[in-house]
Amino acid sequence: MSTTIKSSKKLKTATRHESRAGMFFVNSWLIFFAVISIIPMAWLLLASSKTDPELSSRNPLAFGSFKGYINAWNNLTFFDNGVIGRWVINSILYNAAIVVFATITASLAGFVISASRIRFKKTFLISTLIMMLIPPVALVIPLFVLMDKVSLIDNPLSVILISSLYPFGAFLSYIYYSTTIPPELYESARLDGCSDWQLYTRIAFPLSGALLGLLAFFAFIGNWANYFMPYVMLYSGENYTLPLGLGFLFSSTPAINPGVGATSVPIYKPEIALAGALIAFPIMVMFLISQKRLIRGMLAGSIKE
Amino acid sequence: MAKTRGYKQRNILMMAMLAPYLFLLVVFGILPLFMALLEVPKISIANPDGGWDAFKIVLQDFRFPAALKNVLGFMAYFVPMMIIVVIGMALMLDVKTTKWSKYLRLAYIVPASISGAVAVLVWWAIFEPTISPIRSVLNFFGVTSARQIWQTENLIYLIAIMTFFSMAGNWILIQYGSLQSISSEIIEAARVDGCSAFQLAFRIKLPLIRKYIIYMAVLVFAGGLQIFVEPQLLNTGVYSGIASSWSFDQLSYELAFKSGDFGGASALSIILLVPSLIGALVVIFKTDMFDDKTIRSKKDSDKADL
Repeated sequence: MSTTIKSSKKLKTATRHESRAGMFFVNSWLIFFAVISIIPMAWLLLASSKTDPELSSRNPLAFGSFKGYINAWNNLTFFDNGVIGRWVINSILYNAAIVVFATITASLAGFVISASRIRFKKTFLISTLIMMLIPPVALVIPLFVLMDKVSLIDNPLSVILISSLYPFGAFLSYIYYSTTIPPELYESARLDGCSDWQLYTRIAFPLSGALLGLLAFFAFIGNWANYFMPYVMLYSGENYTLPLGLGFLFSSTPAINPGVGATSVPIYKPEIALAGALIAFPIMVMFLISQKRLIRGMLAGSIKE
Repeated sequence: MAKTRGYKQRNILMMAMLAPYLFLLVVFGILPLFMALLEVPKISIANPDGGWDAFKIVLQDFRFPAALKNVLGFMAYFVPMMIIVVIGMALMLDVKTTKWSKYLRLAYIVPASISGAVAVLVWWAIFEPTISPIRSVLNFFGVTSARQIWQTENLIYLIAIMTFFSMAGNWILIQYGSLQSISSEIIEAARVDGCSAFQLAFRIKLPLIRKYIIYMAVLVFAGGLQIFVEPQLLNTGVYSGIASSWSFDQLSYELAFKSGDFGGASALSIILLVPSLIGALVVIFKTDMFDDKTIRSKKDSDKADL
């Protein structure tokens, strides 16, 4: 980190000589991009504070009232006997299970690869890297075939188990333990009679605070809005997550789908926007508070701190 | 003797700690591929004689050329747009650090939380003139009805914009981080030699972060190839029929769940996996992205211990 501060200080003095017009262009573009980055989210978060007619009559970025959010939520609960509540709970439960399983298994795996001399370490590391660089959706159909064979279709366990495979996390843990814990430490602990399990619980785990935060962050942002895999695995409405529920609301209410005729449930644009905000808002909060984690994690192993 | 026994015991405990992850890796990473391979040659309505012709049959499917055209068309905009804008933004952020830079970076990350189903909702609203937050811009371009925008032939641009906004923020921050890792001595030396900010960016900084750009390009390309949620939800949830079997993954989904042709769907999945796999191998073996000195020195010390 110290180099970052140093370099930015030096740059500051150095850039004084840059042309003013150039800097003006750069700054304007940076600010413009920031504004267009915020508008969509601002609209989404503000939309459900307004009523459906207000959405088109008032300024799109105006705030309605806090009662608007409550109304929108109450209206959402009319849909399919309050199934929205189930979706919220499912999303929280599935993701909590995924974050916990993925974080623990990945951290243990990273520790073992960094601290042990088991065979096939290299093969293991390379298969982890390959899995990490292949987009998870590439395996959705093959995974369906597998889950169908073991009768886990429409069982939340299928989504939880599949998402708990966390090669990126295992690799991150490997780098973390390799760079923070010198092998001599393990050796001397072994001489003192520590078992391998104790090497993890007494040495590695207590030093894992930053790593576990990083692992949980990436596991959460990678899964909270996941659509394709759960969409294939789960088909009963009561097993849906929020993103699946949102997709279902699109196709079964006339709010944004002109093809659906009028229904008796009061689901209009503010209600749909609230469902969308429930998905996007937690991720945004995670991103905003964990900005450094994102950079550190994605560049792990190749940038020394 | 005692020593070897201790060593073996140690390995058993180590294997036990590795087992949960290894189980997940084998069962959900490797096994599905074999399952898919076994599924391909099965006899089905689409493949009445069975056998490996399934690959040929799926490539000859009447929907395949359209999906190919759509996805390649979309990627022709999406991939360069990602690389150019992301690198450009990261370089601009890196020119000068002010007290505002932190807030700018926070703003850039915001759209990353709008992806998949939410992205469809938000972009539907943005291009709906009655409620759009950019109503005046739409009016300026003469757009009075969303139907002027949501046409099948416009989808390659629309989906490129949607995915661009949900992915750019992450990568801007990551590439900014990679630029920050360049040692200040190098930058200083270049400046002393009279490098302008522009030359500095193109001659010094870009070559130094080359591997991160390759890393990003591979992940962006592989992700783009597997586009699914946006066209699928637009098609089923918003404008019916606008993007029917528009992308490869949608075609694969339709083969499996509409026609029950799991052999064909598996064959298509395997075909699509090949470019991703090649990209992954390039990053692993042709860049030193995952092979830095810290890992290597660690490995060496391991060997020395043995």
